[in-house]
Amino acid sequence: MDRRLEKILRNVQKPARYTGGEYRAVVKPREQVDTRFAFCFPDTYEIGMSNLGLRILYGVLNEMDGVWCERVFAPWGDMEEAMRREGIPLYGLESGDPIAEFDIVGFSLGYEMAYTSVLNMLDLAGIPLHSEERDGRWPLIVAGGTCAYNPEPLAPFVDVFSLGEGEEVTVETVECVRRGRREGWSRRELLFHLAQIPGLYVPSLYQVTYREDGTVAAITPEPGVPALVTKRIVRDMDSAYFPVHTIVPSTEIVHDRVMLELFRGCIRGCRFCQAGYVYRPVRSKSLKTLAAQGRASCRDSGYQEMTLSSLSTSDYPPLVELCDDLLEYCRPNHVSLSLPSLRADNFSMDLMQRLQEGKKSGLTFAPEAGTQRLRDAINKDVTEEDLLQSCRTAFTGGWSGVKLYFMLGLPTETDEDVLGIAELARKVYQTWREYTPNRSRGVRITVSTSCFVPKSHTPFQWEAQNTMEEYQRKVDLLRDALRRDKSVTYNWHDPQTSFLEAVLARGDRRVAPVIEAAWRQGARLDSWSEYFSFQRWMEAFQACGVDPSFYAHRARAKDEVLPWDMISAGVRREFLWKEREQCYRSQITPNCRKQCTGCGANRLNGGVCDG
Amino acid sequence: MAEHRLLFIKEGRACYISHLDLMRTFQRAFFRAGISIKHTEGFHPHAFISIALPLSLGYASRCELLEFTLLDGAPEEVPEKLNPVLPEGIRVLDCYTGGRPIKELAFVDYEVTLEYPEEKVISQAKAALEELLGRESVIVRKRSKKAKSGWTEVDIIPRIRSWAVERRPGALVLEGVLAAQNPGLNPELICAALQQEHSDCAPGFTRFLRREVLDGDGKAFR
Ligand code: SF4
Repeated sequence: MDRRLEKILRNVQKPARYTGGEYRAVVKPREQVDTRFAFCFPDTYEIGMSNLGLRILYGVLNEMDGVWCERVFAPWGDMEEAMRREGIPLYGLESGDPIAEFDIVGFSLGYEMAYTSVLNMLDLAGIPLHSEERDGRWPLIVAGGTCAYNPEPLAPFVDVFSLGEGEEVTVETVECVRRGRREGWSRRELLFHLAQIPGLYVPSLYQVTYREDGTVAAITPEPGVPALVTKRIVRDMDSAYFPVHTIVPSTEIVHDRVMLELFRGCIRGCRFCQAGYVYRPVRSKSLKTLAAQGRASCRDSGYQEMTLSSLSTSDYPPLVELCDDLLEYCRPNHVSLSLPSLRADNFSMDLMQRLQEGKKSGLTFAPEAGTQRLRDAINKDVTEEDLLQSCRTAFTGGWSGVKLYFMLGLPTETDEDVLGIAELARKVYQTWREYTPNRSRGVRITVSTSCFVPKSHTPFQWEAQNTMEEYQRKVDLLRDALRRDKSVTYNWHDPQTSFLEAVLARGDRRVAPVIEAAWRQGARLDSWSEYFSFQRWMEAFQACGVDPSFYAHRARAKDEVLPWDMISAGVRREFLWKEREQCYRSQITPNCRKQCTGCGANRLNGGVCDG
Repeated sequence: MAEHRLLFIKEGRACYISHLDLMRTFQRAFFRAGISIKHTEGFHPHAFISIALPLSLGYASRCELLEFTLLDGAPEEVPEKLNPVLPEGIRVLDCYTGGRPIKELAFVDYEVTLEYPEEKVISQAKAALEELLGRESVIVRKRSKKAKSGWTEVDIIPRIRSWAVERRPGALVLEGVLAAQNPGLNPELICAALQQEHSDCAPGFTRFLRREVLDGDGKAFR
């Protein structure tokens, strides 16, 4: 280990984040490697190592001959300061080598607030920030993940965006880079070739023009570059790579357990949910595959905890059979099995009671909206009766805490909907009084609200976000309504982060200088309250002459060119608009299993959708 | 009571694994090696293990002891099963039944390497360290969670059983047999004492290595 590194590791918090050397970390002999890939996660080790996508692509890349993929995370402030002081550039955890010497540096973009960390990591690596400043001597900078669906705010910094699932396209990217090296392509030639690969978007090959009112006039690709980039998907989940052999961190991470992915996509079609739209079509793994992968993953990692992870786990048709099968292995081996993302229905409650023997702490439900009218409008198909029935089961079974999550500022919301949240919380309290076997223990009902952020590629991509003042007004209204309910605790999230997310999520290229300015003023790790400064961001907008409100608070017209129009998640734009109209009529769209409503995503899968 | 014991090395990148994380690491390693060991009772049972004398973060060791109870298989087979599934820098040397009660572990033999960027300070530092350790008593201020002020004072001399200082290129090496527990002495406090009494002799970087654990008679403790 580098002596300077050893020295600083003594004085930083949680040094095991920065050492590598974990079980199953891949170390390859340098002489057998021709292509080096730095997989960067713009957040801490604990967050990044909990990301299943990272583990999948790490495995896929390292299975390639001659390719060595290493991991890189954002250092915490104390480590960053020490690295800068000692002149240690950002390095790959496996080799300790500076990533500026690598061939490809890839970023995983899961949330907008990580953007400043992307810039900070490039800077710590000593890599020029802007694509145009980098020729073939610098690593190719690629980025993927959910945020890549609106890549524009990062367009000047990233060479290539990868849309959709990366299992195949990442391999194709590496092969293209290798070919470019063999054939002596310039960086521009390489980018041009990459742009021909389905699922890859090269922002520098597209020109964006604007109208006087500030909206986008046109997005024009260079000749020979596709006008529309459609995301990639893995067709057959059973044969898709799954990281059974995966790194076991030597320090505790956020999701420190086996994560078994049951299916991709979601049948529910909640209109606010970007993941629900961009991960379509629905593709499940078979029971047999999962039963085998679950066992093998525990055995290989030694984890004695496994969670079934997917967008809405209880929608996996043979879930009961799967749990029964896995429990056969889990019980004798002291492995605990858990289900996240519970739906408030009978089925889920039964299942959970079977799994969570003993531990009865808190239950979490996300009705998202307080009235049936608004839940219909956002297509959240949970009824009050479902929720109360679940609470009845829970309270009867001895649970004494329920957390309820809501969003404020959803399209079509009225004050009546806001007050509906208080009423719902009261009904939950009444249910507890009626059904608890032990009233003296008391009950904790927690209501949380956050400010809705409209996202691209959803039916709400045209919507205005509530202003922070409006959100605050609704918070006050709700708080007032809940004032006398002693058993209900109300927490509301600050709207500042949501406001910024709204700007970044639907921003265009003119937002990029703002991100850079905020970073230059010290922004990084913005999803951590220790580092986040709203003031700093507002100053950056001002300095760049960009009005954030234009992006967050403005409703878009039906035919407006949207900054992300060159990117398709497979779902037709007309379908999204139709869903938006359904919202304004408070009409639900049946879930995909009841009836396919023809979103278009199945075209990516040869017409097949498991919804 | 645990019935079996492991002797293992912790070095290199593994030096930065904390005590708590190391326990988790071993729990998982036992499971992936297919070695069944005794678990705690209750709703969320976990492998029951304990590691004697927590090692400070950043220190290396050749003599860590871990207690556990093997449910089946022979202890002699444990090292070869466990070693392939351990993270870099952790290696099991031995596994055996029984072992002396941990309370009889009396001393730890440390090697402390004080590295200096300049050769010329080293002679001066050697003299300073020898002078210091030759005293009747050296009081060092030490952080304490218990004391109200957050600090306590410790006399390090009575907790040092023997020591020797040797010069090497670029470094000074202190070999010291120090009290292990009730109360023990962390060799870091010797460095703190040097810093406190001869601040001009403070090293640029210090490495700590636990070489052996000893009983009251100075024999290897197992
Ligand atoms: S293709 Fe049909 S079933 Fe599949 S996600 Fe789209 S609407 Fe749902």
